[in-house]
Amino acid sequence: MNPREKFSVGLLCMGMILALLPLSGSRSFTVKPQILLSEVLDDNTYLTVDQVAKFIVSEDSSVQIIDLRTPEEFRTVNIPGSINIPYSKLLDNDPGTILNNGKTVNIFYSNGDFNSNYALAISKGLNLKNTFVMKGGLNEWFKTVMNGNFSGERISARENALFETRTRAKKMFTVMNSLPDSLKLKFKQSKLLAAKKLDGGCE
Amino acid sequence: MELIKNNKIVIAVVLIVLVLVVIRSSGINHFKNDAKRLAGPTLEQSNTITREQASRFAGKNLIINMDKDYKSVNEITGEVQNITADSILCKKYVNTILKHNGSVLLSSSEPGLSARIWMILSQMGCTNIYILTTSTDNEVFKYKFRPDTLMH
Repeated sequence: MNPREKFSVGLLCMGMILALLPLSGSRSFTVKPQILLSEVLDDNTYLTVDQVAKFIVSEDSSVQIIDLRTPEEFRTVNIPGSINIPYSKLLDNDPGTILNNGKTVNIFYSNGDFNSNYALAISKGLNLKNTFVMKGGLNEWFKTVMNGNFSGERISARENALFETRTRAKKMFTVMNSLPDSLKLKFKQSKLLAAKKLDGGCE
Repeated sequence: MELIKNNKIVIAVVLIVLVLVVIRSSGINHFKNDAKRLAGPTLEQSNTITREQASRFAGKNLIINMDKDYKSVNEITGEVQNITADSILCKKYVNTILKHNGSVLLSSSEPGLSARIWMILSQMGCTNIYILTTSTDNEVFKYKFRPDTLMH
């Protein structure tokens, strides 16, 4: 076999191997199933609306709240500080860049419990850490934070703290969502500026 | 024989690459390729069904109950298997689900848990798998926000 024939055979083999390769343009889960199962069964991945309300009130910059609903739904009403990544678009781009892998706490929410939990399973399957869901979604948020109240004659210190957080979160939610779209961004910027001034920093 | 001897380096390289390709394409972690396509039914919510809808399914149903206390699903006929969520990926259960000739219905009082398990099983290649729900408006916003018009 002369070198030219050898080269041809080698090229043919490589061609066959390439033909066998799966099209890698599509993303697939990288975590082993048993590991993924233990991660999705972790109760700590569920956050209550009160825990999320606390994050919002404290304006914790390490927390990223992700609204998985459609842009129309997001424009109508959303949790203050949240960003909109529709569930249908989650896998279109690289979720790792959005979820800032390992750097922030990412909290998914949708109207109910399904889309946020699908998103959580997908993110864990793609080996993206620090993802959580707000249990009950926006419906639970309205039920507990926006419309909830305490009854009874005495209120414990814990209940009082909870009530205060809910009231502040409700106020922030109402203020933010009552603003016209053009003012929402300005409002966010002014809040950031105020926070910087309080920290003693400068713009 | 002479040909193999003369080209042993080329053959060795090709064999190594071939083995790597086989490992890559067979999915060593048991998940199928293209997560987005496999998650497709969740976009149209065609993977969630009510008991009434499930009762109209033709063929044999396999109901997987993930709750400790199973509430019988009278409307739906089929085999019921009590499998806790943490043991659902045991080989025998996965094989049962994969080989089942009919619809597989996930039943749990916790919708979030059903959603997570559904995603894992479907990414492993389980088709005809559904989440049993009590209503069809799982992802519908049920409240109305009233803006504060006095604040401007």
